[in-house]
Amino acid sequence: MTELGTGTLASEIGATVGSYAQGLTIAVIVGVVAGVLIGSFRVLLVASAVLIEFLRPIPVVSLIPLAVLFFGFGAPMRRWIVAYAALWPILLNALYGARGVDLVLHDVARTSGVGAVGRLVRVTLPASLPSIATGVRIGASIGLLVAVTAEFVSGTDGVGAYMQRQGNAFKLPELYAAVVLVGIFGYTVNRALRAAERRLVFWAGEERLAER
Amino acid sequence: MTVRLVDRVGRPLLGCVVFAAAVGIWEAVARSEGSFLLPTASAVAERAWHVWPTPEFLSNVEASLRRLAAGYAIGAWIGVAVGVAMGSSRWMRQALEPLVELLRATPAIALVPALIVILGAGDRMRITVIAFGVVFPVLVNSMDGVRAISPELHETASLLRMGRAERILRIDLPAALPSIFAGLRIAVSIGLVMVVISELVGGGDGLGHYLLVEQSEYDIPEMYAGILFLGLLGLALNGVFVLVERRALSWHRGTTGHGER
Repeated sequence: MTELGTGTLASEIGATVGSYAQGLTIAVIVGVVAGVLIGSFRVLLVASAVLIEFLRPIPVVSLIPLAVLFFGFGAPMRRWIVAYAALWPILLNALYGARGVDLVLHDVARTSGVGAVGRLVRVTLPASLPSIATGVRIGASIGLLVAVTAEFVSGTDGVGAYMQRQGNAFKLPELYAAVVLVGIFGYTVNRALRAAERRLVFWAGEERLAER
Repeated sequence: MTVRLVDRVGRPLLGCVVFAAAVGIWEAVARSEGSFLLPTASAVAERAWHVWPTPEFLSNVEASLRRLAAGYAIGAWIGVAVGVAMGSSRWMRQALEPLVELLRATPAIALVPALIVILGAGDRMRITVIAFGVVFPVLVNSMDGVRAISPELHETASLLRMGRAERILRIDLPAALPSIFAGLRIAVSIGLVMVVISELVGGGDGLGHYLLVEQSEYDIPEMYAGILFLGLLGLALNGVFVLVERRALSWHRGTTGHGER
């Protein structure tokens, strides 16, 4: 833990978190927009089905060697690989959420004179929010896994590269400290997203409250 | 009738047309760019056609599948057992939940260096990593499945003076089966990711190792061919799983629907 104090580990964690946050942001924006659109328009769904079914099962980590060739070993490679990894759960959950929207809601909005774009933003998006939130949570944990993996396998900085170095040098306490730190970070992200979810989609929280 | 026919033929057709267009764009961009990082789709397909049947490639596939099977089996058993236990006992849940939450948030790759030190860089390390990735989706889904069982079922069980073990075997497990299967299915694709992760380190063989070798030799089309194969493998594994699930759950629906006894 002295490593954290002296700043070596702290700066490595900072490097990881920076590109992780950027990648996740890209994934959320692209995933939500594409997912809600595809889920709302049948033509888009039908048109993209084969492509999605083909791209989705490719294990993201198998793209790491390729991303290294394209972007090198640093932060940009990590950012894009995290974005790609987190994109799929977010996109698919937004898609299912948008498809499951109550049609009556749409009819009410239409008779109230809300246009197509307005309905998309004011009906479909909020109604698919609980599903999107789930997707973001799944995407966030997959993204972290992929970020650390990318650093570990072929990174120059970040906590994964740090673990790789300590492991090679058989510095086990430092290594375990990093492992625990990553675990705590992942746990914190998950907790924070859950808290945000509860606040943002408060109306879907009733059953969850009833459970307790 | 004609509308339905158009619908039935037209829908998959549109999807395939878009897919073909995407491949076409790839081909066109790759040709005009001429970058060695982006080989043309036809070059990748041609290389895949030659590489996939070679014994060397197939032995890598076999090594990966063997690890996946072993790790998946171990992870799935532990996940179902612990998940059902945590679902049916409040005490177990309170005792284990913090530990599970912390472990679940730890990316599996973080364990690799420690596992290499403890278990060596061989198959034992790899299978452990795969099992670790598989455990948690199965565990959480099993737990949630058992917790979602309606209280009436449990009240009936206690009326019938069922013991805890009997209740778990005859009520909790079957009733949670759809949820457990959902977890098992997610775990298949996570397992495949873990296979590749575990093979990216420590040398040896397997598809992940194959990708690294091709990358270091700058044999880009062969690398794309490997990625393509992994995608198709994921698709095929998922297809197989859907078939198994349909079988297993139709049996489940049959027994709950009619009641054998």
